[in-house]
Amino acid sequence: MDRPAAIEARGLEKVFHDPQRGDVRAVSGLDLLALEGEIYGLLGPNGAGKTTTLRILSTILAPTGGTARIAGVDVTRDPLEVRRRIGFLSSSTGLYPRLTARETLEYFGKLHGMPPEELRARVEELLDTFDIRPFEHGRCDGLSTGQKQRVSIARAVLHDPPVLILDEPTTGLDILASSAMIDFIHSRREAGTCVLFSTHILSEAERLCDRIGVIHAGRMLDVGTLDELRERTGRRWLEDVFKALVDSSRETSAIASAPGGARA
Amino acid sequence: MPAPRHRTSPFRAILRIAKKELLASLRDRQTAIYTFVLPICLYPVIFWVAIQGALLFQGRREHTTVSIGLARAADAVIPEGLPAALAGPLPADPEGSGQPIRVIEVDVREEPATHAEAEAWALREGSSDADALDAVLFLAAGDEARAELFYDSTESRATVARARIEERLPPFAQSLRAQRAIELSVAPDRLDPIAIEMHDVAPSRDRGAVALSMMLPMLLVIMAVMGAFFPAVDLTAGEKERGTAETTMLLPVPRAAIHEGKILAVCATAVIACFLNLLAIGLSADHLLASLGSAIDFRIELPVTALLAVAPLALLFAFFVSAVLTGVAGLAASFKEGQAMLGPTQMLFILPAVAGIMPGLELSPAMAFVPVLNVVLAFKAMLVGKALYLEYALTAGALLAYALAAIAFAVRLLSRESVALSGKTLPLTNVLRLLRSGGAHR
Repeated sequence: MDRPAAIEARGLEKVFHDPQRGDVRAVSGLDLLALEGEIYGLLGPNGAGKTTTLRILSTILAPTGGTARIAGVDVTRDPLEVRRRIGFLSSSTGLYPRLTARETLEYFGKLHGMPPEELRARVEELLDTFDIRPFEHGRCDGLSTGQKQRVSIARAVLHDPPVLILDEPTTGLDILASSAMIDFIHSRREAGTCVLFSTHILSEAERLCDRIGVIHAGRMLDVGTLDELRERTGRRWLEDVFKALVDSSRETSAIASAPGGARA
Repeated sequence: MPAPRHRTSPFRAILRIAKKELLASLRDRQTAIYTFVLPICLYPVIFWVAIQGALLFQGRREHTTVSIGLARAADAVIPEGLPAALAGPLPADPEGSGQPIRVIEVDVREEPATHAEAEAWALREGSSDADALDAVLFLAAGDEARAELFYDSTESRATVARARIEERLPPFAQSLRAQRAIELSVAPDRLDPIAIEMHDVAPSRDRGAVALSMMLPMLLVIMAVMGAFFPAVDLTAGEKERGTAETTMLLPVPRAAIHEGKILAVCATAVIACFLNLLAIGLSADHLLASLGSAIDFRIELPVTALLAVAPLALLFAFFVSAVLTGVAGLAASFKEGQAMLGPTQMLFILPAVAGIMPGLELSPAMAFVPVLNVVLAFKAMLVGKALYLEYALTAGALLAYALAAIAFAVRLLSRESVALSGKTLPLTNVLRLLRSGGAHR
């Protein structure tokens, strides 16, 4: 692991205040390290804290504790610079429905400060790469789910970011669109981009990831290659590996919360 | 990892965001209809409200003291009892206390000796600059049984004076005729009636300006509010509903620039709506009034100079309205809930605007600091050509301060995580807590 860190989080915390439930700790002391050119999968059940973690790393949310750096830039101190270095995609990052596919790309390119000539060339390239050209002048609210997904990917990589953060990128997609997304993630590895993506689909993680981080109840339970995780848990299938880690975490929590448990 | 090579300045970012948001707003049919078409259809309702407001102030007018110059030709005689009849109670209500009228007898001559004489002469010659006299009643010479009232209908006190003379002079003229008939032992109808003529010395254009000053300032506020209403909801609550709020938060520009760009787009829509509405009034008002025929004796022309003068104030006001509406609409989680929230909020602007057109309410240094009312009263004064430079400057300063405060309020509120990413509508009562809450990236 002599490659430099692309994403580095230490002791990351996020507490939300809810008027009914009081303080809710969504992420608790989470450490994460993803390297340049690495595909890192964040695996966890619903409500584990995956989305909150990715939102913090992409500067949508501010952490309430800990630190995180993207390509060497602190997300709290310079969130604007972080946004220039990432491409972020999730089910919540919809396309502007009243802009066309081309207008969407041009808008983001202009706000990234790309010179007109460079932007024009990059947009043309992306229209071809993602096969958007047949519907480039169609308003986004009239596009199919698959077409929207292609435009969203093009939007995320328009400025050629060194880090891509994808939150459950295949959720809601049909088989063809999911397959295209997986191919795209593969292609970014070859381009040297660090891809951090969350999923609860174990087969995706198994197929794509260089390393997998298992997250549960806002904490990172374990990190490693699939083989390392198998070795540490003594299980063969990722599903069993995942369950073993979660069960182990629950047992540890129960011991810690028992009387005198914290000293044990 | 190489650092990104390109940057865009926050100012350019604001303009680009505003341009995109404006384009998106104009492409939305509902926004276009409610912002540009509906306000034009609302004019009849607005006129009705204005009339009701004017009636409310009628009571106040009843207690206004007016000064009437009573002048006569060199060889004319002021009939005995005329000053008392003009200043006294109405013939129909002889026990009444009467209305406050001060009658000043003046001689009208080419070289007047007093200020009142000079004004009486000037009014008779058609000048509308009198300040000591509200109207002058001129009695013609010799056997010519004729009285002429000269007044300036653009002055509210002069119109009160005319109304009071109209109530008192004809009964007095009739009793004078009856008395003369008795003296001559003839039937009263054998004598010529005493002719009473009314002369409005205000130029027809000025009379139109007064009519405009009663409605245009209020319309300006309503147009700005209506113009900002739907874009404000669309670009905040609508964005949450469409699932593009996070997309916007990922833009590589400061968050403040994003919200300022949105406010600029909302403001631009409000200004466009105002312009289109004014254009519609300008094109249609004269034609509509002409169709009423001789019942209307004034002309309405869009006062280009006054509009240009009020434009900076209107622009500051549009920013103020846009920022407040955008900030409040940001608390809603859906377009529908945003509309419901802005319904009561817009009344904060519209009600003072309606109050501002009440006759007698005028711009003063103190009024210049009352939000909404200040811009209405300033525009009203500009339309009738009043040179209240100190008050205009104070109004501009106050509007600038309110606009900046409203923009700061909206940007701070919209930048809160609990507002930007909330999946449910937040009550207006939580605004202070939200403004103090943490969790906001630059």
